[in-house]
Amino acid sequence: MTTLINQNPIIYEASAGNSTREWRESDDNEDSADPIDAQEIFDLIRSISDPEHPLSLEQLNVAQRDHILVSDENSSVLVEFTPTIPHCSMATLIGLCIRVRLLRCLPSRFKVDISVRKGTHQSEHAVNKQLNDKERVAAALENSHLLEVVNQCLATAT
Amino acid sequence: MPRLEQLAVLQGHEDRVWCTAWHPTKPIMATCSGDKTVRIWQATNAQDPTKWQCINVLEGGHKRTIRSVAWSPDGRQLATGSFDATTGIWERDEEYGDDYECVATLEGHENETKSIAWSKSGALLATCSRDKSVWIWEVEEDNDFECLSVLQEHTQDVKMVAWHPTEELLASASYDDTIKIWKDDDDDWYCSDTLQGHDSTVWAIDFSPTGDQLVSASADQTLKIWKRFAPGNNMGIMTPRRGEPVWKCVATVAGQHDRCIYSVSWSKVHGLIASAGADNKIRLFEATDARPDAPGRLTEDQQRTMNEPGVLLEAMAVAEVQEAHGMSDINSVAWYPNQEHGEWLASGGDDGTVRIWRVVRD
Repeated sequence: MTTLINQNPIIYEASAGNSTREWRESDDNEDSADPIDAQEIFDLIRSISDPEHPLSLEQLNVAQRDHILVSDENSSVLVEFTPTIPHCSMATLIGLCIRVRLLRCLPSRFKVDISVRKGTHQSEHAVNKQLNDKERVAAALENSHLLEVVNQCLATAT
Repeated sequence: MPRLEQLAVLQGHEDRVWCTAWHPTKPIMATCSGDKTVRIWQATNAQDPTKWQCINVLEGGHKRTIRSVAWSPDGRQLATGSFDATTGIWERDEEYGDDYECVATLEGHENETKSIAWSKSGALLATCSRDKSVWIWEVEEDNDFECLSVLQEHTQDVKMVAWHPTEELLASASYDDTIKIWKDDDDDWYCSDTLQGHDSTVWAIDFSPTGDQLVSASADQTLKIWKRFAPGNNMGIMTPRRGEPVWKCVATVAGQHDRCIYSVSWSKVHGLIASAGADNKIRLFEATDARPDAPGRLTEDQQRTMNEPGVLLEAMAVAEVQEAHGMSDINSVAWYPNQEHGEWLASGGDDGTVRIWRVVRD
């Protein structure tokens, strides 16, 4: 890539370690049901690499824990992400990476919606529509070149 | 009230099932999947619809997901539409066993073929694609298919094509949120109407038994029923294009599905509408005339001034199955096409299974 779309992104401090989740009493109790929460989803996606910077989605503030909505009971997850700049042409790719990561890690009962945080991208509607069209996502993942790019971004996800 | 009873769960596909298609006359079904195969299923004994077996697996014809499958009206051929941009035509080789072989490959779309449909007479085949186009093919002798027309008026992916049950009239549903009606004028195909009203992708369409109505299913979580008004209709609905009917929305079903609706099937036998989607539910509706005081029903004066028919039909929810494929999306529902087993419904889902249901009236 010759020119970066966002040459000087703001970098935020990433939390240390694998999980920023606070310890819960139920963590030590193996018998208790362990519902999936926003922190767990955030932990799955925060270390995904940005497609054009050697930085994580957390470091770029693209993914934020407070912008994730989870209902374990209804098996639903909504992830809103914030492109670094409103004309970011990588927005769809970032959303696809988040979707693939969750597709691979979450139990299949979960229905996942991915969208650009309201007001943070000039083609918000088009990006959201594409990211939530399962047929387009399925077709995209059969494109070996695209899948390779996605896998590269996911290689850093822990 | 009718209810749906599950008769059988057919396992074999190794990825999500995208489409289910009944043979026009026999208790046989073709299904296709992300596993790049088509499976043909047959009731082992037509008197016992709980026992099914996979009698054929069509492999190797496509390099990518097979998105849709459709039988020719005489049941002799099967068409497959794939993400590899091609359409396959398959025939059973009756001399050498019962295997199907690919006898033609239709090329032309730039990328994923999403849906295919044979006209009632079997003389025409329509295909559509993410390349925004609809192609009309003429079926010629010796498995030759000639492209008659490439229709490019949709502004986004075309998700599905469906032929009218008796006329040479085609409907297409699109990611551009519209449905278009296509007609032939001396081998010149043109768009005769564009149906606007859905707020998101229209995933599926199906005609009513007579073909005067059309049901559509959308990512906006609603179903709509559209009715054809001929020039000089007694509702006073204007038909701007000379001699050309118009299609108007006469019912909207909201609040019944709470995620994308991917499939809809209007029974040509008993008139029940089945719909299914990402909320894991199959729902059945009965379309009846709306009461004079139905919400959204316009007075005659309003009809005249707004030139809209308003709500003429009510689609009453008459049955539902929650978690019909467990917690998985349902991508396809299809009613059995004729009287013999008109009460059968097939469904295909992200769980990789195909299910057979029967509507029972207690």
